Amino acid sequence: MYRHTDLDRRFVHARAAQYRDQLDRHLRGELSADDFRPLRLQNGWYVQRHAPMLRVAIPYGVLSARQLRQLARIAREFDLQDAGRPTERGGFGHFTTRQNLQFNWILLERSADVMDLLAEVDMHGIQTSGNCVRNVTTDVLAGVAPDEIADPRPWCEILRQWSTLHPEFAFLPRKFKIAVSGSREDRAATGWHDIGLKLVHDDDGALGFAVDVGGGMGRTPVIATRVAEFVPAADLLLFVEAILRVYNRFGRRDNLYKARIKILVRAEGERFVQAVRDEYRAIVEQDGGWISHRLGPQQIAGIAAHFAPPAGVAPGGDDAVPDGPPAYRRWLERNTHGHRLPGWRAVTLSLKRPGLPPGDATADQMDAAAALAERFGHGELRVSHEQNLLLPWVRARDLPALWQAAVELGLGRAHTGMLTDLIACPGGDLCALANARSIPIAAAIAERWSDLDEVHDIGDVALHISGCINSCGHHHSGHIGILGVDKDGSEWYQVTLGGSDGRLRSGPAQAGKVIGPAFAADEVPDALEAIVETYRGAREPGELFVHCVRRLGLAPFRAAADAVRRTTARAALETEPVA
Amino acid sequence: MSAAGDRAVASASQPAAPATLARPLPGRLTLRLVDPMADPWRAGPELPAASATAAPSTPPAPLDPRAPVRLGWSQWQARRAGWPEGILAGVRLPNDVDPALLAEDLDRLALVELEFPKWTDGRAYSQAHLLRRRWGYRGELRAVGDVLVDMLPLLARTGFDAALLRAGQSRAAAERALGFFDLGYQ
Repeated sequence: MYRHTDLDRRFVHARAAQYRDQLDRHLRGELSADDFRPLRLQNGWYVQRHAPMLRVAIPYGVLSARQLRQLARIAREFDLQDAGRPTERGGFGHFTTRQNLQFNWILLERSADVMDLLAEVDMHGIQTSGNCVRNVTTDVLAGVAPDEIADPRPWCEILRQWSTLHPEFAFLPRKFKIAVSGSREDRAATGWHDIGLKLVHDDDGALGFAVDVGGGMGRTPVIATRVAEFVPAADLLLFVEAILRVYNRFGRRDNLYKARIKILVRAEGERFVQAVRDEYRAIVEQDGGWISHRLGPQQIAGIAAHFAPPAGVAPGGDDAVPDGPPAYRRWLERNTHGHRLPGWRAVTLSLKRPGLPPGDATADQMDAAAALAERFGHGELRVSHEQNLLLPWVRARDLPALWQAAVELGLGRAHTGMLTDLIACPGGDLCALANARSIPIAAAIAERWSDLDEVHDIGDVALHISGCINSCGHHHSGHIGILGVDKDGSEWYQVTLGGSDGRLRSGPAQAGKVIGPAFAADEVPDALEAIVETYRGAREPGELFVHCVRRLGLAPFRAAADAVRRTTARAALETEPVA
Repeated sequence: MSAAGDRAVASASQPAAPATLARPLPGRLTLRLVDPMADPWRAGPELPAASATAAPSTPPAPLDPRAPVRLGWSQWQARRAGWPEGILAGVRLPNDVDPALLAEDLDRLALVELEFPKWTDGRAYSQAHLLRRRWGYRGELRAVGDVLVDMLPLLARTGFDAALLRAGQSRAAAERALGFFDLGYQ
């Protein structure tokens, strides 16, 4: 993984000092709340429903055991309060769909101290919020996937560095998210990002990127448009600079809901594509006298050198995966993943278990996961966009011991990619933007499908829950999507079917379709069960849920879900259009 | 690295040591804070409303070369054709105007003001970059409008060399703001 050089360290400490100065000015009354807001946001500090929320950047989801222990320390010592329900007492972190970590209970007055602690382990909250380039995300299996064309991590790191405090692009019309995929299967949901980059080779074998622009969720789900079939890898930053400059100059700033680049791409169509090409050409042909961001082979190699496998990882050796009891085999099948090195596996540690919100980890669990990474995984972890942890470097022969340890810690549930491995945002319990709570819905689902045999019989399903239209829970891309909506001050939930994040099992990225009027909170588990049972009754041998939905259309699922309505049958609500 | 990924870096002549794109800045960031009371630039004469669009029937009033004049964008458009040789002008460019329209005028300008109607509206950073780096403008590039001390590092690094701060901003905070970073990634 990337190891900060002395220069990188100096930079992170400088940022922490700058933030402390801004915080002090704010607390002294020299910097108004309105002016401080964009500054703290670009350091990851929100003010949420109960307290400030800190979003810590985990670049493209790569984390060391040492960093995770420091996050545990921050959770234990700073993320605390005495009163309230269990979810309101702090002491935990929440791993997000953008591979970051959020704390919910740190006092703003102590925020600069926390930034110093993060800087000690080369971490920060830079650009985890605000209208700037956010944390670059990628495939959780980057660097270990057998179907990899090229390792995306060096390119993520190059983009991370280049976009860090980029002076021209610090105040864009709106937030900006870049995802990179290096594999044949797109596990990074690139079609749903402001820029989606796919590593490809041209006919001569040279490495480059296919570039898609203008994907996004929110109120207006849009799949990104192909802007270039092949940009040479050395020109990555030049091409991204061209996209960002066109967006910074021409993106709408008059309406928050129309400010994302997807709106510009949709409105301008081919003219947008041409503007990016023209700007790219101008950068290459006219800006050469200035510091060039065309990457030299030495620069690329210098970054790539950080991503050599950990010491002690070498192919071969004992290739066989040990056998074990049925529960272990099931875990092998679902929670371990093929590796490009024979004799090795990548292993998911599930953060979806009854009693805790999806993606949450207490301080003790973070320490325990760090210990597992040190014992079995060469001290490296990944945060997946499905809100789990993953150990990318595990010897096949260690799998039985890792399985036992993971099960004992409650991180061993064998359901990766299945109904109860659901994605959910923090929702109305914690988030000030939410229209409805996500956590109780997730808890009800975990309870309803607590029988792992049943979950396995249902098979692959991506269930995504967002507490509001901002779509942090990626409901649009779920095979089943649940969206919290507010009507007259109460919580309702709209259900969509057939969405895709772009992975092979569900095909090219697309938004799910709404099956009808929103459901009351207490109807959601029954409606889901009706949908799932319709699938189980109608599926062909081996047919996945999402394929069955595509074959049959929405009608039978809608009819089944409507049949369990109680509250909403009486209320006879109109369909809520998602404009 | 995967086998295919190795190919991407194989063109490097020798194995590289782990490196970063971060590099020290050439020197401490600097930016002149404009004192409006001591600013030599004076606002240009207002144009009659009609002449802003139509060709003026009477030539615009003569200008005193000893007192540099700063013109609005429409004023400059109306006067640029007849602008006297040897007198350098100042122009204020709105942030939604394509700075390419100024590219041919740059050797007649000693001041370009770029506007921040709200400090979080970042369009002028791109205008500044283009004026400096693409078209080689050498005169003063001044940030005006809602300019906060916290913007100064961004301004200095996109090519601005002067700023007129929003009223009430602290000079001490401005000095500190320019001193936090002595390195950057771009």
